[in-house]
Amino acid sequence: MRVEKITENKEDYIDTLMIGDSSEDNVRYYLEAGNLYGLYEDEILRSVSVVIMLNNRKCVLKNLCTIEEDRGQGYGSHLLDYICEVYADSCDLMYVEIKKEKPCVDFYKKRGFSVAPISQAYFERYYQQKNYGKVQHEYLTRTLISAVNVKRVVDLALKAGELLLQNGGEIFRVEETIDRICNRFYVDKIDTFVLSHGIFISVRNGENDAYTRVKNVPLASPHLGIVAAVNALSREISGGQVDVNEAFERLDEIEKMPPPRPLNLMLAAGFGAGFFGYFLGSTIPESIACFFIAVILYLWVMFAKRHGFNKMILNTIGGVLITSLAVLITRLPLPFDLSISGMTIGAIMPLIPGLAFVNAIRDIADSDFLSGTVRMIDAILVFVYIAVGVGVALGIFNNLLGGIAL
Amino acid sequence: MMNFIFLNVICPFCGTFAFAVLFCVPKKYYLQCGLTGLVGWLVYLFASHHTSVAMATFFGTLGVVLLSRGLTVIMRCPITMFLVPGIFPLIPGAGVYNTAFYLVTSQLDKASASGLNAIKVAFAIVAGIVFVVPIPRELFRLEYWRRKIG
Repeated sequence: MRVEKITENKEDYIDTLMIGDSSEDNVRYYLEAGNLYGLYEDEILRSVSVVIMLNNRKCVLKNLCTIEEDRGQGYGSHLLDYICEVYADSCDLMYVEIKKEKPCVDFYKKRGFSVAPISQAYFERYYQQKNYGKVQHEYLTRTLISAVNVKRVVDLALKAGELLLQNGGEIFRVEETIDRICNRFYVDKIDTFVLSHGIFISVRNGENDAYTRVKNVPLASPHLGIVAAVNALSREISGGQVDVNEAFERLDEIEKMPPPRPLNLMLAAGFGAGFFGYFLGSTIPESIACFFIAVILYLWVMFAKRHGFNKMILNTIGGVLITSLAVLITRLPLPFDLSISGMTIGAIMPLIPGLAFVNAIRDIADSDFLSGTVRMIDAILVFVYIAVGVGVALGIFNNLLGGIAL
Repeated sequence: MMNFIFLNVICPFCGTFAFAVLFCVPKKYYLQCGLTGLVGWLVYLFASHHTSVAMATFFGTLGVVLLSRGLTVIMRCPITMFLVPGIFPLIPGAGVYNTAFYLVTSQLDKASASGLNAIKVAFAIVAGIVFVVPIPRELFRLEYWRRKIG
């Protein structure tokens, strides 16, 4: 026994299909729209079936019939099992449309189908069907068991979205990724609403069934590597190369992607501050001082992040630290002149909220005003915190040293 | 001349490179990040000889965003990778410091002037980004132009 999907010369099978459905127009119609499967034994066609995909992970079995002299040998049930297995990947529910005759209904009921709470009108919305005839139809339904179902797909999409949002992705990218993943796994009645701190997804499955997830996404320190990795993964998913289980594993891996080592981060902060200081107008000795100040500053930043200090404390104390160190260095007996401003301007660069600022602008440009405003306020407040920190330290030293230091 | 190159080419490149590390950008994009920052700074530098600081920042931002979008299409990754580190040389960090400094030393007129200048520069960056974001993606594909001309 072997089953194969028939893609060529489908018209040749109309005669066989009409055993199960007397209306030729009907048969022609769904033969065009659906997938035709044939079961062969000893290279002779024994049984045929047509399945039409509906949207949102559902399909309908339009016809399943066995040539009369071959009945009672299990060909029909074998074909049905085969089709259920094939469609389990892309569908959660299979409907079947049959004549209201007892043996027919019993055949399906024995194989796990139950009466569906839908009527003919339900399908008429999916496709215009002419000449329905006076045949009374019965609708049965069966849940297809597979590792993939709507809930799992939504959970996957939500996780990908969460990782993006947490690590500095834009709102539209989060929404796009969620839609892309859901569409790939045939979930298409989906609404998403993404804010700067939360994701809301609602999926309608069937007529009265909805699955909704709300996820609070607290702000973490940005990691653009994760954004790039999730983005690449979502491309692969929508390209059809990755299935749900593998996607979950890959996301878990991406989530654990470590940030660069602390030493590298400190050096990066130092070099960034030093080079920026130099081309923003500091002298070479001042830039070298910038380097050391920024390295020490980043020690504080990492300490504060590990212990979950809020942004206000982190940035204000950061500002104080920079200015104090700069003042301290001017008091050292060095052979050259160092100005406080020259050292501070470079050294505050690692604190500047570049990512929040850029993302805020891009969200606003994409008309995501709510999230854009929140992120913009976040960025502006960080600027203010830094200024307050620098100002407070400068003020204290100004009074202490009677203005000589400045 | 050597000094000019070091000041205006090596420094912005390495500085932006360092910020790319700080934002955990994947390793393979480091060089492109440096390049983006460098181009932004050079455009800013040349423009600043002819116009005000805010206008120069606007043009510098345009350079950064256009280059980032081009790189995004070539490298197939989110634009944030290049845009965030690339924009850093143009962010008015000095303005923040100067404002705080003048406020503390009670030079209120200078404080308000430098504060307003910083805001002006920030708006120039906003304008620069907002102008380029809505340009359709296809325009950054070489293929599109090849078909258009050919």
